[in-house]
Amino acid sequence: MTKTHTFRITAGVAAIVLAIAAPALAQSGDAPRTWDDRPDLNGVWQTMSSANWNLEDHPSGPGHPDLGAIGAIPPGQGVVVGGAIPYQDEARQRRDENFANRMSADPEAKCFMPGVPRATYLPYPMQIIQGDRKILMIYGFADANRTIHMDKDDPEAPPLDSWMGRSHGRWEDDTLVVDAEGFLGEAWFDRAGNFASNQLRVQERYTPMGPNVIRYEATVEDPTVFTRPWDISLLLYRRLEENARVLEFKCIEYSEDLLYGHLRREPTR
Amino acid sequence: MTLKSTRVALVLLAVGVLVGAAPGEIRAAEADYNHVSITSSAPPESVRWYSEHLGCEAVADRDDTADCFGVEVTFVPQPTMGSTQGTGVNHIGFSYADLTAKMADLESIGVRGSGVRLQRFPGGATLREATGGYLHGYIFDPWGTRIELVEDQENVGFHHVHLSATDPQATLAWYEQMFGGERAVHADADEGVRFGSVWVFASEHPEGTPATTQGRAVDHIGFVVDDIDAASAELRAAGVEFQEEPVVPENGRSAARRAFIYAPDNVRLAMVETGFAGVDTTSIAPVFVDVTEPYDTPRTPWDEPDLQGVWTGNASHGIPLERPEDLADIESLTPEQAAARRERGTLGSIWGYEREWRDTTLGYDPNAPSTQVAMIVDPPDGRIPALTSEGERRAAQLAFDRGRYTNSNIAGPEEATPFVRCITRGLPSLMFPGVYNNGLQIYQGPGFVAIQKEMIHETRVVPTTSRPKDGPTLTSWLGSAQGRWDGDTLVVETTNLNARASFRGSSPDMILTERFTRISPTRLEYQFTVDDPVVWTAPFTGRFTYDMDDEQYELVEYACHEGNYGMFNILSGARARDREAAEAAGR
Repeated sequence: MTKTHTFRITAGVAAIVLAIAAPALAQSGDAPRTWDDRPDLNGVWQTMSSANWNLEDHPSGPGHPDLGAIGAIPPGQGVVVGGAIPYQDEARQRRDENFANRMSADPEAKCFMPGVPRATYLPYPMQIIQGDRKILMIYGFADANRTIHMDKDDPEAPPLDSWMGRSHGRWEDDTLVVDAEGFLGEAWFDRAGNFASNQLRVQERYTPMGPNVIRYEATVEDPTVFTRPWDISLLLYRRLEENARVLEFKCIEYSEDLLYGHLRREPTR
Repeated sequence: MTLKSTRVALVLLAVGVLVGAAPGEIRAAEADYNHVSITSSAPPESVRWYSEHLGCEAVADRDDTADCFGVEVTFVPQPTMGSTQGTGVNHIGFSYADLTAKMADLESIGVRGSGVRLQRFPGGATLREATGGYLHGYIFDPWGTRIELVEDQENVGFHHVHLSATDPQATLAWYEQMFGGERAVHADADEGVRFGSVWVFASEHPEGTPATTQGRAVDHIGFVVDDIDAASAELRAAGVEFQEEPVVPENGRSAARRAFIYAPDNVRLAMVETGFAGVDTTSIAPVFVDVTEPYDTPRTPWDEPDLQGVWTGNASHGIPLERPEDLADIESLTPEQAAARRERGTLGSIWGYEREWRDTTLGYDPNAPSTQVAMIVDPPDGRIPALTSEGERRAAQLAFDRGRYTNSNIAGPEEATPFVRCITRGLPSLMFPGVYNNGLQIYQGPGFVAIQKEMIHETRVVPTTSRPKDGPTLTSWLGSAQGRWDGDTLVVETTNLNARASFRGSSPDMILTERFTRISPTRLEYQFTVDDPVVWTAPFTGRFTYDMDDEQYELVEYACHEGNYGMFNILSGARARDREAAEAAGR
């Protein structure tokens, strides 16, 4: 109860700060609109950031030696507002351990569902299907998807923790605001090992900036891992190809060696 | 024969107890053990199960009651909250003269199709010697009741009720004081109270207070008394609380009355008057969906037919794909046949799952089981057309792959089925109703429909405006879907399948055409046409229905691969057997 309250206030403050900081970006301009004059987010979208490699600024680095330059970490500009994730000390150590063990420990390597907000900036297309009661977000990895409940006036507590959490959405002017909670705490934020616990709450804001770009902002709060809530901000671009779609990427069979190789008759790990 | 003589013996023993009671001894009531009430999703099927597997007999004019060697086992159609374990009634017991043979019978049947679940002792045995020196073991009925089987030559038949008590001595004393009975020790080991041939035992509850029996697999146990008024007065004087005063229950089959009291350890206990013949409960008032009226499909705000919502295939669970040969001329099943079929279908598709897992047996699904005879409606004989020779080869390969997974120690995960690997059930199989997680959610936006199945979580995105076709080498497990609206019907054509989750041998050439039509405010008809000339000599079409369940059903995240402990266990078991085989060969 108290927690929800705190969360709302924090998120509200963050929203005001962002609104003041970036007034020019809040223009939805000539974005398409729905039957009820809301922004129409239907379409296939994809980020062009390097956020899935590392949410923070990072130089290039080596990958798995067998893969040569293909596996190398490309350099990237961070998407964390203010530059760095405000970890508590122990949590920062855990992040560093995650990075050291990433080849086998990253849930992405295991073909596990990516969680929130990571699903949004995976290097694959995502599709938004926006109806009058629910919005479905379909991601191009591990069959992950989320239902955004737009028809629950009184958001229900998540019935159980899950990888993708439970999401309730509402419109604030031309911004789709989604509150997501009820996470398992096993997902990572990126390949650099950034993470949160099952106390994670995410508030996302999807704001059209024209017909083919959405500004995606997320406030991340987890009092057991971070010293304060923090924000990421990145852009989603519409995939304009005539045949653009989210292709099926059932990655399970590509993770089985990693997960079960030691249990094969001829062990591979 | 045996049954009759047992019943006579029960009466004689009861009289013996009455005669044996010392004059002046304080007894609230002189009662005999009467019945066990078990919650069930299909009482007639439960009667059949107890008759077939435990030797009980059906009772004339009471399709919800089995006569188990003089004790009535009554099945009440109501939603269940779970098995007996953890409640004040841990299990009930049956005795057989040759338990080794009985257990061998039960083991040979196998859980699949019978729903007989065996509990194995450490080491794998199903029977062992109890403290009292007699042979015993445990099984479960398909509705969550734990049943102990014992070999007690002197007392064959319904043997005991085993309570789980915070203070076993006090509990046994309570039953003796309230209902008569005789304190005795069974096999020089188990303290109990004896009511005729039926023992009441009590063991210490492992932790805390036992959960209430009400709503669980054994809802209550029952005693019979001659004078319920006198017995009630005495029980009340002894401080017993009544949940329900003695009344003739609604739909009672006789004029005899019944009361419910709270026994120790949260055990719900019925006290019935002599002559009580149970209550006529005609199942959980099922909803029959009327589809005789033409139905105008509602439109979305952007003016497309509106199929959005949560649907389940629970009512259709149990419809066979092909028409059984003995039902060649039947238009449809009776509701009773349909209920029995679905229940058997559920038992046939479990591998020992608790009832709580199964959507169709939990009792909350409001819809009557479908009376449709078979899914296949074209060809009209309800049978899949003949296979081509390539089709025969492919079907044989599929059977080999499945057999290898079921019957051998698989070398690696790829020898398991795609379903076991959590990849997919394939098309059209993933649309078929299963034993649990039957939710189907349909989402729509302008020009797109998403079809989401809860089971192992799969989502199909269907564009309803014409899209460029994928090239022939871009194949996938669920293929490429192209939709269109044919009036109010969503038509989905799927091609580019990799055929690795093959439907009965289907090839990459398969074209699957599905039709989704709302035929009533709450019912969605689903049709599928399989056209694969490589495998079958003619196309064929099946249909079944989904029911709207927006109010109570929400799809949960079925993180199948993420939690696939089964794969670790299957593979580590296979390696353990490899080692055993190697050791045996080296010997």
